[in-house]
Amino acid sequence: MPPTRARRKTDSKSEPVESRDKQLLLRIFETMVMTRAVEDRMVSMYRSGDLLGSLYTGHWHEAISVGTASALRADDFLAPIHRDLGAHLWRGMDPAQIMASFMGKATSPTGGRDGTLHYGRLDLNIYNLPSHIPDNYPVALGFAFAFQYRDQDGVSLAYCGDGSTSEGNFHESLNIAAAMKLPAIFVVENNQYAYSTPVRLQSAVKEYSVKAQAYGMPGVTVDGTDVLAVHDATSEAVARARAGDGPSLIEGVTMRMHGHAEHDPADYVPREMLEEWQKRDPVALFENVLLEHGIIDEEVATKTREAARQKAIEARKKALADPLPDPATVEQGVYAD
Amino acid sequence: MQTDNGQVTYLDAISQALWSEMEADPDVFIIGEDVGQFGGAFKVTKGFLDKFGPRRVVDPPMAESGFTGLAAGAALVGLRPVVEYQFADFISAAFDQIINVMARHHYRTGDPMPVTMRAPFGARLRAGPTHSQSVESYFAHVPGLKIVVPGTPEDAAGLLISSIRDNNPVLFLESKYLYRRLRTQGPLSLAPVPLGQAKVVREGSQVSVITYGAYVSECLDVAAELDSEGISAEVVDVRTLVPLDVETIVSSVRKTSRAVVVHEAARRLGYGAEIAAVIQEECFWWLDQPVRRVAALNTPTPTSPPLEDAVVPQAAQIAETVRKVATA
Repeated sequence: MPPTRARRKTDSKSEPVESRDKQLLLRIFETMVMTRAVEDRMVSMYRSGDLLGSLYTGHWHEAISVGTASALRADDFLAPIHRDLGAHLWRGMDPAQIMASFMGKATSPTGGRDGTLHYGRLDLNIYNLPSHIPDNYPVALGFAFAFQYRDQDGVSLAYCGDGSTSEGNFHESLNIAAAMKLPAIFVVENNQYAYSTPVRLQSAVKEYSVKAQAYGMPGVTVDGTDVLAVHDATSEAVARARAGDGPSLIEGVTMRMHGHAEHDPADYVPREMLEEWQKRDPVALFENVLLEHGIIDEEVATKTREAARQKAIEARKKALADPLPDPATVEQGVYAD
Repeated sequence: MQTDNGQVTYLDAISQALWSEMEADPDVFIIGEDVGQFGGAFKVTKGFLDKFGPRRVVDPPMAESGFTGLAAGAALVGLRPVVEYQFADFISAAFDQIINVMARHHYRTGDPMPVTMRAPFGARLRAGPTHSQSVESYFAHVPGLKIVVPGTPEDAAGLLISSIRDNNPVLFLESKYLYRRLRTQGPLSLAPVPLGQAKVVREGSQVSVITYGAYVSECLDVAAELDSEGISAEVVDVRTLVPLDVETIVSSVRKTSRAVVVHEAARRLGYGAEIAAVIQEECFWWLDQPVRRVAALNTPTPTSPPLEDAVVPQAAQIAETVRKVATA
């Protein structure tokens, strides 16, 4: 079992950027930029009153959501939370449908039965979780179990936050996955706060990845603003799971740059802390890596950002024009046929 | 454990139904504490591990919430899990997964959630406050779950088969009191019994006794006793609490004009309250007497025999209420 390595980043020991798959790097970059563009657009929509309730964003989580999703195959399962829009976009989710979910539109994946962050689509192999996080952890076990049951080499990856690690389902799931050697990957997005509760009140350990050791699985803490570090850690965990060697825990350390949701001014967060983390924008950091290594130039970077902004604007127009659900259907579908 | 004329117990009926579904469908598996080599706390899965292997007879770590969620995830990708809770009392540890993950999932997404949750429930075994509970009302309030409560070995088999084939989360409550007390009338049929159909198990003309689970046989005994006094009681076995077969209940009460609802669960907001409400909505102008409930006291279920007997309905108490309602 590999030991926990604190704050692992891409460094001289990692695969050099130049020798990596260029198409993959570009797709990761485009998805991160798109994630940021869609969320920035939705923040405007929240402020202008387009949305029904609050808005949960994943600013500074882009490296975790895209870094993990990009290390999986399309037939692997994801069980994301509300900070993981990037994972949905990676799988081909339409941004207009995400906006429609926050607007209760008939075109949302749930047809307006559920809303806000509950837009996961099983046809994209993404679980649509309830509000009780990490209730998605035990469900992700089931996806992993089914792969094992059918002798398939698929992997199931579930996300949760630092607050979720205090819930019983977190512990039950890690224990079951390890005891049954399930092909599962558990990602903890440590963004320093569970709503207003800082990590120092959440747990006596400073690194959540050490919890993995108690269950007999490898755990690693990575810099959650370094998309290639997240991608590499996930790839290692994927290889282990596919080989039948069981689950892993990955902690990505980042910062929640907005409130718990947009209604929350987060004035409990020290300003200096935000200023410090402001320097570590995962999207900008990755853009710089690609520029430094000549994977993209300034023109490509600018065009990518502008294309994403335009797509987000178009998505908003579509979602606004989409119909609301018909109340005559409200009793349909409580039970499956 | 079959007798010479092919009779099997309520427990064996469940075991045989599960076995036959697992033989018929490779996507069906059983998961629950001690279901493997040990064959389960009550031995429903005795011999299953040898026949079906550890992949399909799964002894998970002792974590009800975790393995319930596992079943939900497996169901979403096409498997048909059967979860065994060692006692229905322990199902509260999985409440969140049942309510927030399973029950709402189809309504939210349109994805089927075919999970059968088997749980031995009920009192009269001197097992005390946390091993004797009737949990049906906790779950009956939640849209999206089906609740099945067989009162006979024949129904236990046929309803279990239908539950496993159903595309919804089904809570299948087995009467542990009946496990080894009731036997089939003859050889066991493994024909499915549809969910959502109540059954008139004894015809009568003066009063309808509406019940389920372990109290079906109890009420049949009471009805036979009252018959010798010249009172004709009809007994309706509800069989499925959700969906509820309103039609069978209503047509019985409209015929007899009197109704007593009997169950082992505590009286306050017990399922009998729902049945009584349905009867007054649908049969008000047919009723000659108020609908009465015979149910457990609103206390925990104590262990010691005189205490437990004072809490859960006794035959004499049922007879007394039915007699009063029928003759008043």
